[in-house]
Amino acid sequence: MDMLLHALAASLAPETVFAVAVGSLLGVLFGAIPGLTFTVAMALVVPVTFSLPSEPAIGLLLGTYIGGMTGGSVSAILIGIPGTPSAAATVLDGYQMTRRGRASIALGTAVAASAVGGFVSLVVMMVSVDLVARLAMRFGPAETFALLLFGLSTICGLSEKSFLRGLIAGVLGLMVMTIGIDALDGVQRLTFGTVTLQQGVNLLVAMIALFAVPHVIDAFVQYYRNEKQVDAGTDVRAELPSPGELLRHGWLMLRCSLIGTGVGAIPGTGGPIAAFLAYSHARKSSRTPERFGKGAIEGVVAPESANNAVTGGAMIPLLSLGIPGDPATAILLSALLIHGLIPGPMLFIEHPDTIYGIYILIILAYVFVVAIQLLGIRFFVQLLRVPAHLLAVGIIVMCGYGAFSIRNSVFDVYSVAVLGLLAYGLIQARIPLTPIILGLVLGPALEREFRTALILSRGEADIFISSVPSALFLGLAALVVGGQILRSLRGILAARKAETPSHASADTEPRP
Amino acid sequence: MTRLTTTLATGAAALALVVGQGTAARADYPERPVEMTILFGSTAQTIGQLLAELMSQHLPQRVVPVSRPGGGGAVGYQYVQSQPADGYNIVWNSNSISTTFHGGNLPFDHTAFTPIAKISEEVIAVAVRSDSGWESLTDIAEAVKASGQPLRVGASGRGSFTHLATEAVLADLGLSEAAIHVPYDEGRAPVELLAGRLDAAVQWPGQFVSHHQAGTLRIVCVSGAARIPSLPDVPTCVEAGAPNMTMTMWRGLAAPAGTPAEVVTALEAAARAAVESEAFREAAGTIGFVPAFADHAAFGELIARDDALLAELMEELGLKQQ
Repeated sequence: MDMLLHALAASLAPETVFAVAVGSLLGVLFGAIPGLTFTVAMALVVPVTFSLPSEPAIGLLLGTYIGGMTGGSVSAILIGIPGTPSAAATVLDGYQMTRRGRASIALGTAVAASAVGGFVSLVVMMVSVDLVARLAMRFGPAETFALLLFGLSTICGLSEKSFLRGLIAGVLGLMVMTIGIDALDGVQRLTFGTVTLQQGVNLLVAMIALFAVPHVIDAFVQYYRNEKQVDAGTDVRAELPSPGELLRHGWLMLRCSLIGTGVGAIPGTGGPIAAFLAYSHARKSSRTPERFGKGAIEGVVAPESANNAVTGGAMIPLLSLGIPGDPATAILLSALLIHGLIPGPMLFIEHPDTIYGIYILIILAYVFVVAIQLLGIRFFVQLLRVPAHLLAVGIIVMCGYGAFSIRNSVFDVYSVAVLGLLAYGLIQARIPLTPIILGLVLGPALEREFRTALILSRGEADIFISSVPSALFLGLAALVVGGQILRSLRGILAARKAETPSHASADTEPRP
Repeated sequence: MTRLTTTLATGAAALALVVGQGTAARADYPERPVEMTILFGSTAQTIGQLLAELMSQHLPQRVVPVSRPGGGGAVGYQYVQSQPADGYNIVWNSNSISTTFHGGNLPFDHTAFTPIAKISEEVIAVAVRSDSGWESLTDIAEAVKASGQPLRVGASGRGSFTHLATEAVLADLGLSEAAIHVPYDEGRAPVELLAGRLDAAVQWPGQFVSHHQAGTLRIVCVSGAARIPSLPDVPTCVEAGAPNMTMTMWRGLAAPAGTPAEVVTALEAAARAAVESEAFREAAGTIGFVPAFADHAAFGELIARDDALLAELMEELGLKQQ
């Protein structure tokens, strides 16, 4: 108790509170602007923390991290471009809600879900950091591969009507991410002997290209054809969801928060993966899955509670094992080190007050982030009053700059242009983009875990079935895929019975 | 040059501003911010950022750290190498200049750069689980030979410095054929070792320290010629049973080849002041590196010597591409 009071006093010192507030604001801004991401914001903030005492320094970085994770939903919902990769799943339904005039409801719900996700993960961290770290440790390469494959199998249901087009898209996504130096064998892949291509395609760059560029092209095409704008007359009321509405999704928020915490705690996964897993979970467990992708509020609740729960989840291996789970926590780790705090088992023994301090700073950061976002919604939605073609100019400038800022590389700006045009072409060819995103998000992790597992087992495939979690998830994946095949077979049979002309469904898989 | 600076500062500062980039300005390096390219994330980035911050205090202009990761350093090296040799673009480099070149990922080698100063040294550490009962490298070698089971060693990807060090240790112990190198990225090897999926891990000491102190992992040895201050009780690998195994990774600053000598001297002096500062020494203790300043001449010799050694090692391992 003494320790807690001491930590409370240190964390609630004016300069610390101020640092958290500044960090949260910075995070929300960087998160909300498409192209600028909180990882970049954190890297920029690090030199500032050198001259600060440890509490404000950590507070500043935690605020930026949490603010950025939450802020990513703003542009995802308002303009259909994720502010951070973790918010990609939020676009699917969040942007549809905006097009149906429910932007502020979606934004308000996202803030609430984010806060719940953050708090749930914090509680899990406080009561069971050891247990969760131990459980997460059981997830080696084979188990993580099985989990990702299960995720991929459930998410496959998200691909639109045509199985073939979905498959083409998924493979394209996987292929784009193989460009560059292979992390395991150190060999170049698809670099054509150039040094420039060795950096590969950054996930955020690919996402900007896929989401933003077609959006911008569309806006211009519509403007020059003088087409009536779909978005015209969009309702820009700043109406917030009522507490009752939010409570109805309480159980879903809790489940998705736990998914996010768990995924966050497993090294080598991260926010985007957690968000998509939660999204597909919400769709699977919904009584009306057909509403998803058309502006279902659950499609915002699920990814937003999950990606924010990742912040707490990722802190578990960071603090208890000293293992950063993603680039953002790696920056946090460096900042802790420079202030003489070495994360790992000894931190809990030697500096328990620091641990309490971090818990309090996280709570503080969420208070600020929720306040900033709720106050901000009425301003954010004003963005919708801007004519689409003018907004598009702003978007393309920010995306170009954002793409550059990630790695200070002009190559990334060109990548946005090339991949963006490719994406526009794919949309014209009615190839869905969601499977591409899934390929981008899951592909590299899936490949890495699979190969590492087989290196560990010296090529014996039984490593995937000899451990309980791995066998369990692979079994579930088989069930899901089997179920899908069965359903489409039944659809084909039913179609035959009804003697439907077969050419009518030549390019689309019959649905039950 | 000092007298010129003083004259300018006292007498004609305003005039200099108006007249601008005259002859006086060229002698007055740096007259605009210096860009320091950082090749890697994580602690390498943090040390680089701190160094830039401290060097700025000893120069009339700021040193700005700019991150250009990718290709194991190749992307950043190529960027700096392509910039004018005027001292406004420098790189926070390391032995990676040799590993990327010999690995075939870079079309030029260390001679494309002018060394400025060596800043720090880092060694790698070999760790095992405490419950393995292994106290030294000799113990590991005996256990592996007795059991006939291959040793699973985790390190970073193939061709990385930790991988080369792993292979060097194994070769010294006669275990090259009796071990499997398991590549991990993002520093996951320590967890995999804790979880029992690996038998040993070769990473930077900082990744093991907390577990070593808590008693779950044991750092068997560190790869330097001498023990490191933060782990005085941990023997060197030579002491632990690998007679030829000394590998140290240096970090330093370099500029494109052909950078004027007076510019190098100015940067070298700022770097020396930064390395000798209290702030840098404190950070070294907690992040886990050793400040080890060396001037541009000594640094140049070290780079060339290490390059030859790494080339030889990579040749033996079949990793040398050019």
